[in-house]
Amino acid sequence: MYRLFLASLLLAVTSSQALSTGQLSDSAPGYGKLGYPLPEIGSYALPPLGKAANGEVIDSGGNRRALHDIFSDSYVLLAFIYSTCSDVNGCPLSSHVFYKIKSAMKRDAELAERLKMVSLSFDPANDTPEVMQLYSNNFRYAGKAGEWQFITTASQQQLQPILQSYNQVIQREIDSQGNPQVGYSHVLRVFLIDPEKRIRNIYSVDFLHHELIINDLKTLLVQETEQGQLLKAAANIDETAQLSKPGDYKQGYEEESYVTRSLDLASRRGKAADLLAIVSNPPLGLPPVPVPADNPLTREKIELGRKLFYDRRLSLNDTFSCAMCHVPEQGFTSNELAMAVGIEGRSVRRNSPSVYNSAYAKLLFHDGREENLEQQVWGPLLARNEMANPSVGYVLQKIRDIDDYDGSFEAAFDGRGVSMETLGMAIASYQRTLVSGNSAFDRWYYGGDKQALSAEAQRGFDLFVGKAGCAACHRIGDKHALFSDDTLHNTGIGYRESMGILPEKQPVLVAPGVVLQVERSVIESVGEPPPTDVGRYEVTQNPADRWKYKTPSLRNVALTAPYMHNGSLGTLGEVVDFYDGGGVPNELLDPLIRPLGLSDEDKADLVAFLQSLTGGNVDTLVADAFAAPVGDVGKGDPSWVHGTEVEVR
Amino acid sequence: MNSLGRRLLLLLFSFTLSLAFACVNSEEIGGNFRLTDHNNNSFELDQLKGKLVLLFFGYTYCPDICPTELANLTAVLNELGDQAEQVQGLFVSLDPGRDTPEVLHDYVGYFNRDLMGLSGSDDEVAQVARQYRVNYQRHEREDGSYSIDHSANLYLIDSRGVLSAVVPYGIPPQHLYQMVRGLLDEMAEMDSSS
Repeated sequence: MYRLFLASLLLAVTSSQALSTGQLSDSAPGYGKLGYPLPEIGSYALPPLGKAANGEVIDSGGNRRALHDIFSDSYVLLAFIYSTCSDVNGCPLSSHVFYKIKSAMKRDAELAERLKMVSLSFDPANDTPEVMQLYSNNFRYAGKAGEWQFITTASQQQLQPILQSYNQVIQREIDSQGNPQVGYSHVLRVFLIDPEKRIRNIYSVDFLHHELIINDLKTLLVQETEQGQLLKAAANIDETAQLSKPGDYKQGYEEESYVTRSLDLASRRGKAADLLAIVSNPPLGLPPVPVPADNPLTREKIELGRKLFYDRRLSLNDTFSCAMCHVPEQGFTSNELAMAVGIEGRSVRRNSPSVYNSAYAKLLFHDGREENLEQQVWGPLLARNEMANPSVGYVLQKIRDIDDYDGSFEAAFDGRGVSMETLGMAIASYQRTLVSGNSAFDRWYYGGDKQALSAEAQRGFDLFVGKAGCAACHRIGDKHALFSDDTLHNTGIGYRESMGILPEKQPVLVAPGVVLQVERSVIESVGEPPPTDVGRYEVTQNPADRWKYKTPSLRNVALTAPYMHNGSLGTLGEVVDFYDGGGVPNELLDPLIRPLGLSDEDKADLVAFLQSLTGGNVDTLVADAFAAPVGDVGKGDPSWVHGTEVEVR
Repeated sequence: MNSLGRRLLLLLFSFTLSLAFACVNSEEIGGNFRLTDHNNNSFELDQLKGKLVLLFFGYTYCPDICPTELANLTAVLNELGDQAEQVQGLFVSLDPGRDTPEVLHDYVGYFNRDLMGLSGSDDEVAQVARQYRVNYQRHEREDGSYSIDHSANLYLIDSRGVLSAVVPYGIPPQHLYQMVRGLLDEMAEMDSSS
């Protein structure tokens, strides 16, 4: 009876009655000096004590967030508090200790960078986001280093599952002789949580001390590094894609803590590669590169094509090269645009495809309207919203007039000068060399290296060829894999776009951590209407081909976000979710697309597999691209914009 | 066990009270209030506009938290030197029955003469506590005396009378000092730009 009564009080006590008249003489060790020497950092183990649960919370800005989202990828100290608490050895103790750690962060950059502190209120009725904001305001002058967030929940309904999962209960206070005291209090427990969301330590009143916590964190960090090195040695993972990120790398931009980390242009160091050698002997997992009989690969042609690929003068107004949509360090596509943008900001209606391994593609463009790279080149050159040249002849005459191309076509093509044919052949020759294989998957599957692929990615492979059915279109052969069936399919993405099936509100990220939910009507009032796009039908005029798009290769797919022909999916996780959901129903939906019933683990495994497809030579190819000359208007060039006089180089 | 049961009942009862209170708690936290100062003059928070106000709630019989916090406040005011003129420390008594203006006058004088003690009727004090969401509760002792449990945040109110930050108990006075200095600098900037 008494127990039942106590249990029914658990909640009641937390909200207002945990007031006690603790004596300062009884104050917890956390207020003073640590009474014992700390063990050496790294000399002890902190085994995981279970999962740190998720839940829906509200940050001090009033935004609904997932608790794990607030944790992000940091180590986290989590305390449950309430603002009207006055038990000296309760919430104020956690504030005191957190404050000490915040102060230590000023001197310890590693601490500030890796640890995040979160105080979560268990009194949502009183502790509104406004109150939590007032709390966090008070650290405005406590130094910028480190993060301490004060968060709350919308109501008891959101709070209770969180309290339960952290086993955060309220108990009677008992003195050292075991006699019950006047007050009731929640048992103060502070949780140390690792980036994998596992609880690694729980501090009660007697152990809550900033020096102990910092010691524990440093121990975890040391062990993390050691483990990382071990894993790396075991898996033999190459850091192959170090160069493959935008110069202004926006990863984590959705977090308020994001800081700009633009790369200095000086770090963009080029190193020319022997492209002919690479293409003549393609990396593991790739078949021999098909080369047209009338355009055999030579160093001169590759060199010339590479120069043309990076030449801005190939556009109407001398501003736009091929590489500006097929950006080498962005997977030879553009990570920053869902749909491409051509000269003068003209919108293109599809996502720019990666040039990696385009040598093997039997169909080019998303609707497969071209059949080889030599011809394909002319598409972007002449499209009014891409490079916008008015005619073939215009391009050819322009190149003939540029002095630094004098004689180079003749040298590469046995005396043949600039022509529609030779220009296509030169650029195609360079693109053909961008073959990329020898990924972790290739080393595991074709190379027989059992250590090459993580267990997660191996499970992902099983799903890829099995339950998830991905390999039906993204094919894997016995000796090599191109991850495409060279045909076109209707997944419903195009249908959804044509039918204007869009959510009422669209999240728009306007600044780090600031997302606005913008009404569709507002977007439509200022935005360009979505372009008409019926996919393959535009090429064949066959109604059955509506909304069919080409199966892209998945090699280097981790580097080529965003995804789908219109770039509408931002991450591999979203793509897997999309296929798991069975695409978008429409009367022409490909029968291969169906709900898959994948678990969260399955999805994570599939993403791990997709991430293992990054080629072992991408850094080589990107560094080679960095070494290529960038063609720009200079002396000796006719200027097609301002007459014949050139003002500046 | 019997007395324990009674206590639990009391707790449950006051919890339901506090829940009822919580439900109407959507109103803004902070704001102007009227009380009586320790010189027996009527007092209004708005009369301190232009100054940075440090507001604390407690009672003079308080054995631990209040003296500690007032000593911290005093340390901050002393450290500020001349700038202390732009700051006003307020100590609102949650125990107006015992804390008459005279008692308050002597009590705050032990710490710092520039501190101002405030009290009023039970209702007036309760109203201010509600505005600032301060929880307090009287505890009877067996000898007939009583203590008051109360939450122990410090409220920083800017020169326009707007509640600008809440400092939880347990944060060292150095932090409070930095915070006050920072807010004073902000106030100076606002003045010079206007």
